[in-house]
Amino acid sequence: MSTALTPDVEAAPVPPNAPSLDTPDVIRRQRLGLLLRSPSFVIGAVILIFWIVMAIAGPFIAPYGSNDTDLLNTLTPPSGDHWFGTDQYGRDVLSRVIVGSRDILIVAPLATLLGTIVGTFLGLLTGYARGLTDDVVSRIMEAFLALPLLIIAMLVITALGISNTTVIIVIGLSFGLVIARTVRAAVLSERDLDYVAAANLRGENPLYIMTVEILPNVLPPILVEATVRLGYAIFTVASLSFLGLGIQPPSSDWGLAISQNYGLIGGGYWWTVLFDALAIGSLVVGVNLAAEGIHGVVDA
Amino acid sequence: MRFAQALAYRLLLAVITLVLLSIIVFAGCQVLPGDVGRAILGPLADARAVAVLNHQLGVDQPLLLQYWHWVSGMVQGNMGMSYTYRAPVGPFIGHALVNSLKLAGVAFVFVVPLGILGGVVAALRLGTWIDRAIVLSGLSATVVPEFVSGIVLIMVFSIWLHVFPLTATAPNSAGGLTQLYYLLMPAIPLFMIIFGYIARMARAGMVEALASDYTRTAVLKGLTYRQVIWRHVLRNALLPTITVVAVQSGYLIGGLVVVETLFNYHGIGGLIFAAAKAKDFPMLAAGILVIGLTYIVANLVADMLYSALNPRISFGRRE
Amino acid sequence: MSQRDSLISAIRRNLSEVDNDLMDNALAGRVDRRGFLIHGTRLGLSLPLLGTLAGAMGMAGSRGARADGTSGGTLRVAMTMPAGAIDPVTIADDGGLMVAMQSAEYLCALNPDFTLRPVLATSWSPNTDGSVWTFKLRSGVKFTNGEPMNADAVIASVERLANPKNASNALSAFKGVLSVGASHKVDDLTVEFHLDAPSGNFPYILSSDNYNCYILPANYTGGFEQSFIGTGPFKLEKYIPKVGCSYTRNDSYWGPKALPDRLEFTFYSDMQPQVLALQGGQVDMLAQMPVAAGRAILNNPDFKIVSCKSSAHQQVHMRCDQGSFRDKRVRQALALSINRKALVRGLFQGHADVGNDSPFCPAFPSTDTSIPQRDQDLKKARELLGAAGVSNGFSVTLTTEQFLEIPDYAVLIQSFAKKIGIDIKLHVEDQGAYYGKAVFGQSDWLDSPLGITDYGNRGVPNVFLGAPLVTGGPWNAAHFNNKTYDGLVVDYVKALDLSGQRAVSGKIESLLLDETPIIFGYFYNYLYATSKNVSGLPAVADRPFLDRVSIAKT
Repeated sequence: MSTALTPDVEAAPVPPNAPSLDTPDVIRRQRLGLLLRSPSFVIGAVILIFWIVMAIAGPFIAPYGSNDTDLLNTLTPPSGDHWFGTDQYGRDVLSRVIVGSRDILIVAPLATLLGTIVGTFLGLLTGYARGLTDDVVSRIMEAFLALPLLIIAMLVITALGISNTTVIIVIGLSFGLVIARTVRAAVLSERDLDYVAAANLRGENPLYIMTVEILPNVLPPILVEATVRLGYAIFTVASLSFLGLGIQPPSSDWGLAISQNYGLIGGGYWWTVLFDALAIGSLVVGVNLAAEGIHGVVDA
Repeated sequence: MRFAQALAYRLLLAVITLVLLSIIVFAGCQVLPGDVGRAILGPLADARAVAVLNHQLGVDQPLLLQYWHWVSGMVQGNMGMSYTYRAPVGPFIGHALVNSLKLAGVAFVFVVPLGILGGVVAALRLGTWIDRAIVLSGLSATVVPEFVSGIVLIMVFSIWLHVFPLTATAPNSAGGLTQLYYLLMPAIPLFMIIFGYIARMARAGMVEALASDYTRTAVLKGLTYRQVIWRHVLRNALLPTITVVAVQSGYLIGGLVVVETLFNYHGIGGLIFAAAKAKDFPMLAAGILVIGLTYIVANLVADMLYSALNPRISFGRRE
Repeated sequence: MSQRDSLISAIRRNLSEVDNDLMDNALAGRVDRRGFLIHGTRLGLSLPLLGTLAGAMGMAGSRGARADGTSGGTLRVAMTMPAGAIDPVTIADDGGLMVAMQSAEYLCALNPDFTLRPVLATSWSPNTDGSVWTFKLRSGVKFTNGEPMNADAVIASVERLANPKNASNALSAFKGVLSVGASHKVDDLTVEFHLDAPSGNFPYILSSDNYNCYILPANYTGGFEQSFIGTGPFKLEKYIPKVGCSYTRNDSYWGPKALPDRLEFTFYSDMQPQVLALQGGQVDMLAQMPVAAGRAILNNPDFKIVSCKSSAHQQVHMRCDQGSFRDKRVRQALALSINRKALVRGLFQGHADVGNDSPFCPAFPSTDTSIPQRDQDLKKARELLGAAGVSNGFSVTLTTEQFLEIPDYAVLIQSFAKKIGIDIKLHVEDQGAYYGKAVFGQSDWLDSPLGITDYGNRGVPNVFLGAPLVTGGPWNAAHFNNKTYDGLVVDYVKALDLSGQRAVSGKIESLLLDETPIIFGYFYNYLYATSKNVSGLPAVADRPFLDRVSIAKT
């Protein structure tokens, strides 16, 4: 099945209507050019790269330590010393927002990767095989899928204890099931088309048909789904942190910061929440803009 | 006749799914750390009192026996007694489910037609600024977590402008319109989340259908553009949308913990969250099964619609 | 002989030896008015008599009688959702107590200054060694179902809680103090309690301080939730689990009738929405408000904050039996690294008192305040680490629970410790995981080398001195093992008079300061927040009594 996991390398460059003279390399270069001319991809990528740099180099860039408390200067509004003000323990909000990108940018992408791999595999299998395999796998999948992600996450996290690893696994596996469903639906529409029937007549083995014939044609929805899922992974991790089940103190994670501080906005201390909210917003919007750009190019 | 058979088959599958779900839930609850009596009485209570309480609640019985009691109760329509509230689970679930349905319903009646409309319009105006505007605003709204948009709404409309109440729970005596008024603001974050998703999938399906061979064939056959859109393209564009709506039904009923927490609303998501924290197994299991049931029914309906709209997929899936 | 002296000696002639000891202390200036009243009430002297005495001895009263408030109106309260069934026997959470205490009452209840005020009991007194306590009950009190409140009801209520066959949350409080069958009816309004061991603070165990100890009808067997049966100033109107409840004034209440017509409680699962609800005008009062959650309204003149002194605190335990903390110099060093004044200011905006590494907080009258306060001293801390052979510092994990300000306290300890070279890793987990099975070997709380655990307000230090610190105590997370200490605690518990208690408390404070099994960094106040038009809320730590509250018309 490992070929199914690396679709881009072998299968992707041969869409049915592609000019047969182009080598995969040429197509890839053409697509890169298209990507760089897509404004939404460029803007999204810039935002994403910005946050990745912050996640890696944050502690060196931040003007203060993210957990350095200054109990004499709590809740001071934005100023020259503290551009984003300080929180109720006198910690520099700017530094906390910068460093707060780290945990979520580790947890969310790993969860999405896990989900895409699992989802593509399950979706191809159930959509193509149909019959008993489909029924058995689908039943188990549906039983899990019947529950919203946050409910599953709550159960698993309460059972296994709160940790970043638990969050990655629970989001990854749940996303896998969602992606599998989309993949399966796409495969079902493809399965009865002529080219599959032709491959069957040629006597190709099912693995070949699934990975080489069908996978390239269902790649667009998979890619769309996966990129959307990355945005959702960030969203979900933030929500879990907001509920106290995700990233834990003393991390300066954004969702966690909002959950700890949102009662303060009524008192006029908007800076303790606003910048974290903007950070979450910019990151997810950036991811989705980039995804949208990729989507446009892949579909073209 | 064929349809009835297929329906019976799907119902059977749904029951199997439910049984699997119940086993998953039961097993999941058994690995929750800590014990029930301890969770109720707190860490500082005397161990003897904890043991007495566990005995009263029956959680010191063998697992299989507990599962049997629970399942046989369920089959007879008895959801059991809550450990923490020491009262029948049924009314709690019913109350919470009605609340969840109300909130989801308000969001739903706005988001489904508007989402599909947005997606179809974007696809028909593919590549224009209208398309970009719908796609990008949908995207941005979709990914804003409920607590971020919810907090902004609360600050603007409740604290500063005093236009909307900041809770979703209307006073006990409130009539339908008042309840709707209380639910409007909490429904907005949900709307924002679902809108982009539905619009995006509707648009993707629509674009795919527009570019497909059979659309081309239909145009060649001499149908007008409008006819093609209605007969073929729209129908195919709806397919992924139906999947989305069905998949999201669980979320809309049970996944609203964040909104419920923020707006102090007593829905089934919050009920389950609290039950999980308190190790209240009967409450937890009943809540999860109810959500699962909702989801399974929604998906059964979705599958029926799916096959009605796409003749290439037959409902029963078994010839 | 002046008039003052003659009054005092006239009263003295009628007092026991213990009572006279109290008077001696008062006259010698060793007891202030509060300490005098607290011990007087514990010993069953009536408040009017004590007030007269205190006045005669020149102790200034805090305030005159509270002005009568205005009657009428509905008080809307936001509160944290009760964790489960409202069953007086099992309640263990503030939410559940808050709803039960409006309609059910105790024999006696805590005053803002940690004295006891008579409620269903009118007076109480010990025998000479404090092994038998006699409670006189109020006559003519009826429960809301018409049953009489009498000795049978009191004995049944107490025995219900002291019986290990019931799932009683108060069992640990009665353990070793009062056993089943040791409560005797003298007459219909008099009950004698024969204690397992002499105790000077026993009345607190039958007061609101031992919060399960509601007096219920003798034939009560459960089902409190149906009617919230009790003798209190309010009676239940409607209770909807997980949503809220409402009460109306009990017009046949034995005491002054409640001022509000109605109470309306709304349950919340989180603190932040409660603060927003108060700001949005949806409620008039928050039943409790941690400083961290309430910063937005703490200094806002549109709201009133009632700040109550309390003995609530977070214990930072260090395992005395293993690792680097086996050496008491290392424990002292960590304690010396902490800037307590900064904690009080930073974590609580001043709504707290600094702690001196013993449970004796400034609010307890028995606290010996002559023990020098431990302050931050980094130089000395480093010297101690050097002397203990860990001058290069060491690494240790601090395990704690996700509750109130504890994670932030953990971060602050981490940054203080860093200054003396101790590298603390934080492990913050939810409360269920932290407490685990709550027995040694299966609980992060009891097994971790360094941890922070929350303890709520108590009227007397007995609980804090016992289980978390005595050898083999069930909550002894520090694994502290010190026979001298154990002996001192026995002496303290036995002591009936203030000077006796203080003599012991000084020794305990010195011993704990030296051994430092637990860092008591601060004792934080309980806060209630109300809108401007609410007044008359008594500042009793963690129990908001609402019958004297007035709501001004706006």
